[in-house]
Amino acid sequence: MNNNVKAVRAYRRNLSIALGLILLVFVLIPVFVKSPYVLNVFVLIFYMSTLSMAWNLLGGMTGQNSLGHAAYMGLGAYASCLLITKAGANPWLSALFAMVAVGLVAGVIFYPCFILRGPYFTLVSIAFGEAMRQFIINSSFFGRASGVGLPFGKDSLLDFRFMSKVPYYYVGLVMLLGIYLLMKKIERSRMGYALRTIREDEDAAAAIGINPTKYKVMAVVVSAMVAALVGFFYASYIRYIDPELMVQAKSTESVLPAVVGGAAYVEGPLVGGLIMIPLSEFLRAHFSAMLPGINMLMYAVVLITVIRFRPTGILGWYMHSKAKDFIDVKVLKKPPIEVLEAVELEKNRGKEA
Amino acid sequence: MSIFLQACVNGLLIGGFYSLMGMGQNVIFGVMKIVNFCHGEMLMVGMYLTLLLSTHLGLDPYACVPLVAILMFLLGALIQHTLITPSLRTNSFTNLLFLTVGMGMLLSNLALVLFGSEYRTIPTSYSQTYITLGPVNLSLPRLISFGVLIVISIALFAFLKYTTTGKQIRAVSQNPVGAEVVGINAKRIYILTYGLGTALAGVAGALLTGFYTIFPTAGSAFGFRALIVVVVGGLGSIPGAFFAGIFLGILETMVALFISPSYSDLIVFVTFIVILVVRQLIIIRRK
Repeated sequence: MNNNVKAVRAYRRNLSIALGLILLVFVLIPVFVKSPYVLNVFVLIFYMSTLSMAWNLLGGMTGQNSLGHAAYMGLGAYASCLLITKAGANPWLSALFAMVAVGLVAGVIFYPCFILRGPYFTLVSIAFGEAMRQFIINSSFFGRASGVGLPFGKDSLLDFRFMSKVPYYYVGLVMLLGIYLLMKKIERSRMGYALRTIREDEDAAAAIGINPTKYKVMAVVVSAMVAALVGFFYASYIRYIDPELMVQAKSTESVLPAVVGGAAYVEGPLVGGLIMIPLSEFLRAHFSAMLPGINMLMYAVVLITVIRFRPTGILGWYMHSKAKDFIDVKVLKKPPIEVLEAVELEKNRGKEA
Repeated sequence: MSIFLQACVNGLLIGGFYSLMGMGQNVIFGVMKIVNFCHGEMLMVGMYLTLLLSTHLGLDPYACVPLVAILMFLLGALIQHTLITPSLRTNSFTNLLFLTVGMGMLLSNLALVLFGSEYRTIPTSYSQTYITLGPVNLSLPRLISFGVLIVISIALFAFLKYTTTGKQIRAVSQNPVGAEVVGINAKRIYILTYGLGTALAGVAGALLTGFYTIFPTAGSAFGFRALIVVVVGGLGSIPGAFFAGIFLGILETMVALFISPSYSDLIVFVTFIVILVVRQLIIIRRK
């Protein structure tokens, strides 16, 4: 038994070292990479993956396929921008307010919509996104189609305003990690189990005492709040927003990392984002001058290929591949599953006693 | 009063296109229970096909309609056979949804790569011809298009109602397992339906070219309105889709006339959400 405990501890230590090394690489990238272009691609990866994780909570975990996440992101961006420019609020406080406001709007609007199932929810999310965009285009308070710009000025952490891309890189990385840990926490919580039960069978979930509407509203509120946070980050980074931010195509773009990476996994959007966004940026930089649209075309081809041949996404494929077996056994020294279970059981017994 | 009548007629003429798109979407959704998110892009492909046929073969846009229908049917059948049917087995609604979304992205960006983002038109000798009927002015191409699509709608209704294949399609949409039990080849019906739906969208595109500009994202507005038509008109109902499309067209022009043209999209989307939720509430009450 003692050997088993040792093996499990060694495995956990190896796993932490591996994850720590990956994190270290990301922390050190701005120290060695000075090209603003490359750093920009990383910032893009960070916020798009975060947005995709927000989608994944609702789409992958709960099975409610939203196609309106660009709208929550846009609303978050608008709420924080308007607070900064019109009320002179501190950006960090405005971010907090934007998250709460967008969460509330999403909860109130989608509460009656959650009697709808399957494709109907998707349709409402599209209609909601388009309605919001049209509303902003028609509202002079929101700056109509010409958008809102944030003031430029001296670098300041308090105003979240920098000339260099490095601070945005670190803030983006922290945002990504924070949301990842939050999603991981939700996945393992009561809410996570409830959401996955609802995804598999809503009637069965209701029969065992899970209130589907309550949990779906919780999921949409959290998801919209995270998307609003991404919107705030985007607005502070680009320093200019317009209603184009909320077009349908942007919502689709926010889903792709999750579906390509593997929507059933919390890590799916991270993997998908790391692969898809550099690919898209490379194509945009090298080919879009000659052939506009080529980057989105490739995006679509990758999406269709993955869905057709690897329906569980890249991560789903990796989870059942020989590569994972090799890394688990040879590199991380993962003990057999029986040993892991035995140790886990022993630990729980100790708790109960 | 004459402005009101004119707006009504314009709404009717554009609503016919929403009807035609809605019918195609309705057939696909009814049979496979998947929302075809590239339906609008299929309309756009139909427009570019008409453009190619009319510039290279010198055909009149309306003479292209049967050719476009056949080509679009083949395209739809190909997509169904190679992509959608194999993915139906995974039984994942998310995957099927994003397969059609990806198809839409593929088609609209392919059009952007091949033809660029310029707005194109197909000039005809009669494109600026108007017919005056009392207080109302009717554009000739719009009138011809509307006439053609009425004929197509009636033909589609009759096809689904009276032919053996049409009956098979309805059988699969009502109960796929039962249909297979009585010897209907469901896979063949899937290919047929998706081809039929795509062909209807392509024909709508071909009919639009007489008076509408052609550009890579021309289809998206029609694609989403087709979904509204399906939901409002009721699943599996061809007459329902027809009248819902006309209703939507007239609603849009009325909002443009009485409130403001820039609000018409907003009102359409909000109306859609309200109708969807109210309809669902009524269904729940009845239970």
